[in-house]
Amino acid sequence: MIPQSHFLILSALLFSIGVFGILTRKNAIGILMSIELILNAANINLITFGKFLGSPDGLGQIFALFVIAIAAASAVVGLGLVISIYRNAKTILVNKLNLMKW
Amino acid sequence: MSGLIQVLNNSLLSQDAVIKATFYPTAFLTIFFAFLVVMSRSIFHSVIYLAFTLIGIAGIYLYLDAEFLAIVQVLIYVGAIVTLFIFTIMLTTQADTEPIRGTVRRMWAGALAGFAIFLILSKVITMTTWHIGLPEAAFVNLRELGRSLMSKYALPFEVISLISLAALVGVIVIGRGRKR
Repeated sequence: MIPQSHFLILSALLFSIGVFGILTRKNAIGILMSIELILNAANINLITFGKFLGSPDGLGQIFALFVIAIAAASAVVGLGLVISIYRNAKTILVNKLNLMKW
Repeated sequence: MSGLIQVLNNSLLSQDAVIKATFYPTAFLTIFFAFLVVMSRSIFHSVIYLAFTLIGIAGIYLYLDAEFLAIVQVLIYVGAIVTLFIFTIMLTTQADTEPIRGTVRRMWAGALAGFAIFLILSKVITMTTWHIGLPEAAFVNLRELGRSLMSKYALPFEVISLISLAALVGVIVIGRGRKR
């Protein structure tokens, strides 16, 4: 049996890789991809606790399902925003997007 | 997983050894591809690596007895979200694309922040003594999952459908552009 802490370490690694991606990417799509990585790390945590703490009605898996649904909605809206930004500013590099900067 | 385990039971290897021997390579590959997602210079390569990462995470779900979640992960993430990412990249990235990577200083700052977060989290994880609950009740089959989703958690389920509708309408309004 694989101990619980190994799953949690895996999820912590994925989370920190996602944070690194958000902080260093210049492309807006890259930032969205890093956000997906972070949401997946959260999902692994939820399912791990659902399995090892043993909730009777599968609460961990149900929460993970909700997280997947919300991640899909957020990815759709985020990518729609990226396309809209590209149409107006002709770039999606976040350091070039200083339209609203003073 | 259970069908696989049935087959493995007849073989020479013990079940536990097989699970251990396959889990750690899967986890390592997942982390490796996730690292490539954030490090790759080309955004298009990055999205392909993201697909592999998500498939690896679906494999991790199998070790957590969440077969349904693994299938949903492959269907929704790899099937829908990655496709959406690829279309957006094709619509927005020019041929003469500029370097994705930021300055070296920003790179170091990001690496420092990510590493610090990982150190804190792993310290907390290894320090805590985890209580293992009921091992028999831990296995949740699909029938049980669907039943509780439709009875006890019916209200959050409906709220999710509302969020999906809002995302649908919102992205149409955003993506339509200015009216002429």
